[in-house]
Amino acid sequence: MEKRQTGKKMDKGVSLLLSVILVFCILGGVVFAVSRKISVEMSESAIQNLSESLDLIKATIEAILNKEAEYQKLMAQEIARSANPEEYIYSYDKNKTMVKISLIREGETEGVSSTGEAFTEQGLEFSSDALVNELEVSQSYMNYMGTWSYTIKCPVTKDGQNIASLYVEYTYDSLDQSLPGGFYNKKAMLYIMDAETERFVLKPKGMGERDAGHLNLTDFYRANAIEEEGLREEVTECLQNGKNLMFHHDIRGTNSLNYMWAVNGGTIYLIGYVPVEAIQQEGKTVNQNILVVVAVMLIAFFLCCLIYYFNQRQQNRIRKEQEIEREIHNRQLAEALQAAQIANNSKTMFLSNMSHDIRTPMNAVIGFTTLLAKDAENPDKVREYTKKIMASGQHLLSLINDILDVSKIESGKVVLNVEEFTLNDLVSSVDAIIRPMAKSRQQKFHVEVTGITHEHLMGDETRINQVLINLLSNAVKYTPEGGNIWFRIIGQKQRSLQYEHIRIEVEDDGYGMTPEYLKTIFDAFTRAENSTTNKVQGTGLGMAITKNIIELMGGTIDVSSEIDKGSLFRVELECRIPEGQADRRFWEENSISCILAVGGHKETCENIQALMQNVGVEVHTAYSIQEALELTENNSETSEGYQIVLMDWDTLDMDGVKAVKRMRETMSDTVPVLLLASYDVEDVEAVLRLENTGLLFKPFFVSAFKEKIVEMQAGIGKDSTEEAEEGRSLEGMYFLAAEDNEINAEILREILSIESADCEIVENGQLAVECFADSEEGKFDAILMDVQMPVMNGYDATRAIRKLQRKDAAKIPIIAMTANAFAEDEKEALAAGMNVHLAKPIDVEMLKQVIRQYVQRKE
Amino acid sequence: MESKRKNNRFQLAAACMSGIMVLALAACGNIEEPGKNLITEEEATSKIVNLYSPMEKTIAGIDNAARSAADQTILMAEEKLGVRVDYITYTAENYQDKTYDDVALDRARNDMDDIYLLNPDTIRILGEEGKLMDLSGLESAKNLRDVVKTANIIDGKLVAIPQEVVAYGLFINKDMFDQYHLELPETPEEFLECCRVFQENGIETPVGANRWWLETFVLAQAYADLYNGGNTEAEIAALNNGETRYSDYMRPGFEFLQEMIDCGYIDAKKAYISEAIEGEGADFMAQKTPIVMAYWGAANTDTAYGKPDFEMVVIGFPTHRGQMPVMPMTGFAVGVNAEHAQDAMDTLNVLVSDEALQVYTEINRVISPSKNVEVECIPALKPLNDKIKENVYVLGSNASMNVEQWGNTCLIVRELLNGATVDECMAEFDRLQEEALKSE
Repeated sequence: MEKRQTGKKMDKGVSLLLSVILVFCILGGVVFAVSRKISVEMSESAIQNLSESLDLIKATIEAILNKEAEYQKLMAQEIARSANPEEYIYSYDKNKTMVKISLIREGETEGVSSTGEAFTEQGLEFSSDALVNELEVSQSYMNYMGTWSYTIKCPVTKDGQNIASLYVEYTYDSLDQSLPGGFYNKKAMLYIMDAETERFVLKPKGMGERDAGHLNLTDFYRANAIEEEGLREEVTECLQNGKNLMFHHDIRGTNSLNYMWAVNGGTIYLIGYVPVEAIQQEGKTVNQNILVVVAVMLIAFFLCCLIYYFNQRQQNRIRKEQEIEREIHNRQLAEALQAAQIANNSKTMFLSNMSHDIRTPMNAVIGFTTLLAKDAENPDKVREYTKKIMASGQHLLSLINDILDVSKIESGKVVLNVEEFTLNDLVSSVDAIIRPMAKSRQQKFHVEVTGITHEHLMGDETRINQVLINLLSNAVKYTPEGGNIWFRIIGQKQRSLQYEHIRIEVEDDGYGMTPEYLKTIFDAFTRAENSTTNKVQGTGLGMAITKNIIELMGGTIDVSSEIDKGSLFRVELECRIPEGQADRRFWEENSISCILAVGGHKETCENIQALMQNVGVEVHTAYSIQEALELTENNSETSEGYQIVLMDWDTLDMDGVKAVKRMRETMSDTVPVLLLASYDVEDVEAVLRLENTGLLFKPFFVSAFKEKIVEMQAGIGKDSTEEAEEGRSLEGMYFLAAEDNEINAEILREILSIESADCEIVENGQLAVECFADSEEGKFDAILMDVQMPVMNGYDATRAIRKLQRKDAAKIPIIAMTANAFAEDEKEALAAGMNVHLAKPIDVEMLKQVIRQYVQRKE
Repeated sequence: MESKRKNNRFQLAAACMSGIMVLALAACGNIEEPGKNLITEEEATSKIVNLYSPMEKTIAGIDNAARSAADQTILMAEEKLGVRVDYITYTAENYQDKTYDDVALDRARNDMDDIYLLNPDTIRILGEEGKLMDLSGLESAKNLRDVVKTANIIDGKLVAIPQEVVAYGLFINKDMFDQYHLELPETPEEFLECCRVFQENGIETPVGANRWWLETFVLAQAYADLYNGGNTEAEIAALNNGETRYSDYMRPGFEFLQEMIDCGYIDAKKAYISEAIEGEGADFMAQKTPIVMAYWGAANTDTAYGKPDFEMVVIGFPTHRGQMPVMPMTGFAVGVNAEHAQDAMDTLNVLVSDEALQVYTEINRVISPSKNVEVECIPALKPLNDKIKENVYVLGSNASMNVEQWGNTCLIVRELLNGATVDECMAEFDRLQEEALKSE
């Protein structure tokens, strides 16, 4: 079909081309015909023109000859009347025309001449054919003056008798004066030729310029390359018959009209040529103008074609662009439709999943609540049921949190809370959460930190934490029991001095993912579905949240996975390095300039070196105890020795206690020895009992290292955690709680009563303000404030309380307890004057910790 | 990119529009006003000088370099003086016709023209007749070489001034001489030997000749001693007073020519009726004839013997004193009764000025009559030029001799060609000398 169309197009093009060629041929033909016609007419006109000019010259010469003859007749009459004709001859004074007169009496052969010499007819050749006004005229000859002449013979008659002959010699030069000073703009060439002798006897002045062919007819032929025999014969015939002849012949490459024009019946001839262009000047101009017009028309035509062509091309381009645009648009529409369909499907599926997932724990809650009501008297069952209800509730909560997160991220409401954090804290908190999870599944959790040059960084720690926990908890979830999980933080080459470029890798040797699933892993509302993963609970939103958060931070995440081999998530992040973070002062103040790292892998040592270099502390490394001992000895000799020894517990080549003791042999007991060990380290207590030893968890961080040193210097004991536990008790405290929901209020009251604390509950903000205002100073330890309440909301109530003119109005801790769980809500709460923000549902432990923290502060 | 293309398109369209506008405006121009005199009078040149010369006026630079050189000097005069020089010319159709010199004599005697380009014999005749103006007063005459002045002074008057010192020599096809292992001839005997060798090798007529220039052989042999023997003035005086005879000088040259004719080295009959170069030139250029005689200028490019297909050298004529150039003096003369005498004198003053001669000499590569003008000659002419520089030459004409040499010798050589004996020719010289002595 397409082929046929192309063929049609080509046929159309060829026929168009043929039409154009045809039009051009017709145009060319017409122009040629017109031009040719003009040329022919011009040529005829030129011949006519030249003929007339030559006729004019001929008539002039003939007139002169006739006048000469007539005058000669008068002279003859005068001589006839004269008594002494010889005297008449002698007395003649020559002029420019008649240069000599002579007389021969009848019957004599010799006569007299005006020059004084005897005169005979010798040398003069008269022919009966050559007559001027009936008088005989001689052939031309070179006269005594060195100029071409002719002689006219006139009988002198007296009383009807010839008594003598009068000979008058005329020069051709005299004709020159009567001829035009040139014709056809002096481009015409003209000679006067004696027909009998074929000698050129006069070239009138101004009749062209030339350098040859001025001698005779043969010379003329030679000079002008007139070699055609036929033509020459024709010329000869014309000369014999006294006819005129005009023919075209090139003279030195120029087309010329040559002429032989008979004068006086052919006794003399006008011979010469005129370049045709000299006669047809206007013809040439006309032809040139025709050509110009044709050229202009052609140019105009081509211009039109060109404009048409460009226009067409433009149109085609626009059309094509429009088509492409339309195609793109259609494709986009199709894609959008497909995406919408997929999204719709996803959402449908999600809703169905969620419906299932929500119903499942809800079913548990309701079911167990029913059972609880039934078995209320059996404390063991009650405990068991409440534990299960609690677990189902927690699961429901995480589900809701995820949904909220996704909707927030998608609507662009997420605001990053960029603050300074340390990688140490990050890793510690992640480790603290993941390690127990992994442990519970008998999985090995490996934490590796390498190549980091700055551990204090700027970023939203909470969000990074969220991402890491998400990835790691997934790894734990999707890795069978006894598997491995690697968590690596790798420092990359910095792209800018202000930014630390880190790569976070989470790897497992778990189930892995199919390539198809990998394509949609970061899409919301999707989740891997197979028989294995179905065993694992999840919202299907975690990865979407993770990706969105990372992109929000300007980072990237990619994943590679193979079924049954495991998965590797790789996150690239660039975190700004806070200014002046290198805390050299601490190390200088504590006179720590050189430490020794013993054992461990090369990367670990290099990492320690890199980190410590930033704070100006030199790190020497020894991969065995022996090597460490040698270094210690050498170092103590040359300098002040090592201020701290770091020992990698996991790679020690001998028993820990032994190793520390050996080290102690070469250095002072005051030098602290810190054991660098994993979180799951065991059997370390014996070593820690040795003096001046401590435990530092891997991976190595300067901040942790510093804290440990401070801790060891201060001699803080191992009981601090227990004290903290004690500090969190709410016993004997009294709170003001603003809560409009009765159930929530009841729950709160119950929780507090469990903790041996009590509270006064009001239904709205207004009542809370009034209640606080009426109370005695110090009556309440803190105010627990709901936000969304009738009459007056929590924010306004807080502001009102803070404005009260009482001593404790500004100081009393106000804790927001609300279902508004977003960061903006927290911000608003703090802005309103609240001290802290707790999201509902209330985590009792969290509540206790927060209350304890602020109330202590109050104390 | 797009906008640039668009700009180009606009520029093209603008150019076309302007072109059409120009054409339209041109068409609108030149509208004739009714009643306006449409004839524009040509400015008439009032000063006219008639020049009698053997050639027509040419458009400079077309065909003939020799003429265009002269024409350029004429043009120079026309521009400087505002005159128009009209050429009057005559060429004999055949040997029976009056010669150029005959006509020159007639025209000068009848005061037909203003300036005449004359051969040495006519200068001599017309000078003696007092028909020529004394040119010694011209500014340009002061620059002339002495030899030029000597050759053209008659009765104390400088009657003619040339534009070039014409030197005649033998034009030799060196390739043909080399082919037959021949040295370039120095003496008449060597020359004859060369001719013999050529003839033996199938070149029947080794010397190409015409009716005009064979006298150069005679004059060279006749006056080689006179002009180069250190006693020139005394010898001329002896000739002028009849103590010595011209025929005695001339005889060896005529006998030499006679031998050449007898041996068939020259085709006498053909030479008798041949015009200069026309008769022998074609054969020489076609390498059928190894030797011709001609004037200096003929060797130059774009002239008769320019651009040959063989190595050509120009040498002097053989004499017992070695190779001898022959230098006749042609020249411009002004008629004593010229109609436009003053304009003619002024024109001649320009024609022979150093400026004009420089132009002439550079174009024609000839020897200039002015002592201030000198140009390099072409390699072929070097042997001849060397001789002239060494002051080894024979004057083809000498106004101080009472018998005109160039023309008379030419005519008598023609007699020889026509069958006269050497003795008859010598008798003619004796007759001329006697006539001269009588007239004195």
